[in-house]
Amino acid sequence: MSVKIHTPPVRLAKLLRTPGGLPVADAVQRAGAGLLSLRQDCLAELKAMLEVAEAVAARAGEGYDAELLGELYGVVSKPIGVPSVCGLTSMDTALISLSDLLDYLKGQQRWDANAVAVHLRALRLLLHTEGAADAAGTQAILAGLRKVSQRYAKPEAGA
Amino acid sequence: MGLNPESRARFNLERASVLLLEESSMGMSILVQILTGFGARTLHRCENVDEAKDAIAKVEVDLIICDTLGAGGEGYDFIEWLRRSRIEPNCFAPVLLTAGHTPSNAVARARDCGAHFVMAKPLTPIAVLERILWIAREGRRFVECDTYMGPDRRFKNEGVPAGMVGRRRDDLHGEIGQAETPNMDQEVIDSLMKTRRVEL
Repeated sequence: MSVKIHTPPVRLAKLLRTPGGLPVADAVQRAGAGLLSLRQDCLAELKAMLEVAEAVAARAGEGYDAELLGELYGVVSKPIGVPSVCGLTSMDTALISLSDLLDYLKGQQRWDANAVAVHLRALRLLLHTEGAADAAGTQAILAGLRKVSQRYAKPEAGA
Repeated sequence: MGLNPESRARFNLERASVLLLEESSMGMSILVQILTGFGARTLHRCENVDEAKDAIAKVEVDLIICDTLGAGGEGYDFIEWLRRSRIEPNCFAPVLLTAGHTPSNAVARARDCGAHFVMAKPLTPIAVLERILWIAREGRRFVECDTYMGPDRRFKNEGVPAGMVGRRRDDLHGEIGQAETPNMDQEVIDSLMKTRRVEL
């Protein structure tokens, strides 16, 4: 097997050094302000996502359904990153926990309606409280969700 | 790396051409707000791989920020295609891969697709800027072989594994023998570092 190692020129490096531009502090502040302007749109998108996720989960039967599981994974993993823009970092953590759970279930070709339902209920709660009310309570919810999803992290552990 | 968000150090993205590949409209809005906040003016927004391939063929890009694009991982396929496309200089462009959730069966693909860096969402402005500055560093080596084309994935050089022959041009070959003279005293080393007044 032949291997070629070379060092291509990077135009971006030169552009970044050109005179003008912005100080790091100003750029970060401007970007943060821009993200704040998206807050209402993000909240609306999260509400819509949750309704779709609940509707998909409600269609699930008792057994494993690869297509439905894939659809639900697509719905809940897509908006990861959006809640943090609205200050709902806990909701991002819950979405990641649910995506992990669905990934584990897919790997083991299993379905656990209760584990999915508890995640969806927690997401609704986190969305409505907007993470402001009770930090300790929020952490307890997230720790509980993590425990539920990690039950399936290893095949023998969840069985 | 630890970029200080209060830093007054300047950087300039005004003339950079940036390709954004993100299927979610809100994800795209987040990227656009971050990049325009950084002063970038030329953004090529692509919602799917076909649009991104089209853009790569038509315009020169300096930076690519690409999402993994769902469980199917079309984002990985796009980066692999880009590297093998031979469309210069775009095929060597710095690529920041963003991932909402990486399924367990896609971790190796994320590592091997040819991206410069994989960044987990949620994205924050300071983290994105830190990564852009990091991947833009000059002198990053590119590896081309049958199974991989992209930036060198080795972050540190600890030498050739025992019993193997190195493939890097600057790998040392041959046996390293025992030291022939004693180690230098610390005082001697210190005196080498000491600044001295000289007369010219």
